Amino acid sequence: MSLLSVRGLTKRFGGLLANDTISFEVPEGMLLAVIGPNGAGKTTLFNIISGVLAPSSGTVWFDGRDITALSAAQTALLGVIRTYQLVQLFKDLTVEENVLVGSHRITRGGIAAALFRPRWVREQEGRLRDEARELLAFVGLGQMGEVFADRLPYGQQRLLEIARALAAKPRLLLLDEPAAGLNIEETAALADIIVRINRGGTTVLLIEHDMSLIMKIASRIVVLDFGRVIAEGTADDIRKHPDVIAAYLGDETTADLV
Amino acid sequence: MLSATQLLQSLVNGLGVGLIYGLVGIGFCVIYNASGIVNFAQGVFVMLGGMIAHALLSTFGLPLAVAAVFAVVLVAAVGMLIEALVVRPMWNRRAPLFAIILATLAAQILIERLTLLGLGDQPRTYAEFTAGGPLKIAQIAVSFQLFWIFGSGALMVGLLWLFFSHTRTGRALRACSQNREAAALLGIPVARMLLLSFALSAALGAVAGILITPMQYTAYNVGTPFGVNGFIAAIIGGFGRAGGALVGGILLGLAQAFAIVIFGAGFKNVAALSLLLLVLLVFPNGIFAGLKGAGKEP
Amino acid sequence: MTLLDSISIRSPRSWVAPIAVLGLLGLTAYAFGANDYLVTVLGLAAIYGVFCTGLNFFMGYAGQASFGQNAFAALGGYGTAILCAGYGWQPLPALVVSTLIAGVIALIVGYPTLRLRGHYLAMATFALGLMTYEISIEWNGLTQGYMGYSGIPPLGVAGYELGSDKAQLVALIFFLLAGVWISRRLRESRFGRAVRAIAGSEAAASALGIGIARYKLAAFVIAALYASVAGSLFAHFIGFISPEVFGLQMVVLSFTMLYLGGIGTTWGPVIGAVIVSLMPEMLRGLSELQDVAYCAILIVILIFVPKGLASLFDARTARRAEVSTSAR
Repeated sequence: MSLLSVRGLTKRFGGLLANDTISFEVPEGMLLAVIGPNGAGKTTLFNIISGVLAPSSGTVWFDGRDITALSAAQTALLGVIRTYQLVQLFKDLTVEENVLVGSHRITRGGIAAALFRPRWVREQEGRLRDEARELLAFVGLGQMGEVFADRLPYGQQRLLEIARALAAKPRLLLLDEPAAGLNIEETAALADIIVRINRGGTTVLLIEHDMSLIMKIASRIVVLDFGRVIAEGTADDIRKHPDVIAAYLGDETTADLV
Repeated sequence: MLSATQLLQSLVNGLGVGLIYGLVGIGFCVIYNASGIVNFAQGVFVMLGGMIAHALLSTFGLPLAVAAVFAVVLVAAVGMLIEALVVRPMWNRRAPLFAIILATLAAQILIERLTLLGLGDQPRTYAEFTAGGPLKIAQIAVSFQLFWIFGSGALMVGLLWLFFSHTRTGRALRACSQNREAAALLGIPVARMLLLSFALSAALGAVAGILITPMQYTAYNVGTPFGVNGFIAAIIGGFGRAGGALVGGILLGLAQAFAIVIFGAGFKNVAALSLLLLVLLVFPNGIFAGLKGAGKEP
Repeated sequence: MTLLDSISIRSPRSWVAPIAVLGLLGLTAYAFGANDYLVTVLGLAAIYGVFCTGLNFFMGYAGQASFGQNAFAALGGYGTAILCAGYGWQPLPALVVSTLIAGVIALIVGYPTLRLRGHYLAMATFALGLMTYEISIEWNGLTQGYMGYSGIPPLGVAGYELGSDKAQLVALIFFLLAGVWISRRLRESRFGRAVRAIAGSEAAASALGIGIARYKLAAFVIAALYASVAGSLFAHFIGFISPEVFGLQMVVLSFTMLYLGGIGTTWGPVIGAVIVSLMPEMLRGLSELQDVAYCAILIVILIFVPKGLASLFDARTARRAEVSTSAR
């Protein structure tokens, strides 16, 4: 059974049809990429899956449950964790604190716990800080824990966002154009990190523009154009698919396809 | 028991005050649109308009029209001073918006104090623009000043509309409000636009103050209530929409008049504020921005 | 990266706390030796310090706007006044009950209001504050109207009253330090981080499972509780309250203190409260021009230290250099 099941998702914004009966399955452990030209409806799709938007029709199923009507926070609590196209860091918090916030869903403790600090809270805090340091080291930000998040250069902010998402121990990780704005080296490092996350057992759903990144790491690709799925398959399938080539005709990324 | 005539009379007067609130509210919108700043010194422009006009009339015996023009120009200059000395330095140092707002509030208090020191604390007023008794329309007395307010108000709104839609500077200002960076890239001098927005806003406030003084009075501390009510008007209309601010002001004036008649003068503010709260809870972004609920977007 | 760089971009060291506490205690000791007026001023500073610490929780940590916390101070102040002076209650139980009532009302009022954003929220909370002010003037029977409520006993425990102002000042400093300690504890916890995350990015916070509405409401109620305690303390300290006390001036003063001291920091509200309270004293000599000078100084400080005075201790704002990319 699939971990994520998208069934007939349609989304209208007034007269604009952003998503048109999109359906696909994501089995557990897969690294699936959603690609398509600008305006194809990829981010809208993510917004619907992660609970930010409600679809006009269709459903989203996660781990056997219909999660279509759940809010963003509720969806996240189930383990569906997303990152944003435009980096959304907590600017007034340090790098380490950003990652600590990430672990919100897998921890407990409200006001009383904060005030009285019983032993389990102190132990939890200790554990969290250790795990945060490990995650930061994993993405390559090992020494930056005490730095304020807004001081990081762009590429490192992206990595921080991923570390923060990982702190939530996601069951499904949604990455929205994680390579946007990164140079070649940074993209390669990112690709490596994403593959290692996936190999560690986390299901990853990825939106990307960068064809070389997708082709190298995705085990399965879904192609959108004008809100509809026009192709689905492995990297090889997609590379040769006439509809996909037509959709990208004139786009400089075609060179990567053929 | 309340008669229809009393009610109507009250509403007519409320309409006049409401238009003034609307003008003040438009002033808030002009600055907010150009910069995102809520200028809490807005009320002081209203006060200065009336006070300076009175000073010019009584001290120099100038004819009304001349005094009014001078007053507006002077207040516009004060507005520009506030921009140059208080807002711009903070803007350049990337101060948090709220700190800038706080500074404008401090500027308002400072100017009020200086006015108190310079002109004393006596309330004062001057004659209505056109002498003669109120016009009686079916038992309802419509003061001539009210006509001046309606007329001038309409004129100001019309001039503003013309300015924003048909002049280069006006369009440049609108561009700034929509996207400051793009405007800068197009060569629009954004800093100068900010200065202009303060001058314009101050002038609007001054006109409002000059118009309303004959119907009430003016004193060093009338600025704050006008500022607060103008702000409420802008909020009701959906902050940033000038037309909305005008309508909001009128609604507020009417609501207050209504409340005074029904509940007595003491509850006028509570009524105004309750209206505001009600509006906000039903239209979280102001009446003209439409209905937007909480939770997921539809 | 040089050693200097690596020091200056890190979060503030915890030496601010001991310095602040010592500074407070030092001021208190000085006030004891100096004149009674200074004791009163410092006492008011402590009360405002409590108020601002609560305000900081909602505005600094949660990043929301509330222009109406004075309403809750009024609730606390009048609650204490009515219970103690009117019904003969002991101060501490009255404080607890008033604070609880304020908290409940904050919960009820906050729930619909916090759906608003930005200046709409500011305006709605401002309306609340103004309405409380108007009601406290009009509802003569309960609040004794604009004449104010007098005869409020000083702070005390189980029948023992803290007779002198100096004794009350010590109690107030204690309340202040307790309030700061609570604020610090809350800030450095899962709860506090969630609240601060909301200020950073609501979208990202909810994408990590944080229920935005719940945490905002919690922060709002916390701020209300602090405000109510401050109001009650004021009633005991001065012995007399009136609607004016909890009016617009409180809003303006508290914001000034908060921004001057440094919003979002632990000690900023206290630093701001002390400085803003002491400043009129230092300007006494200017008589008429006192207010003008006060506003002018405020404006100057806001221009040149826009993040507040506490940020001067916070090395990260003291320099503007970029972090080098080679830091790996």
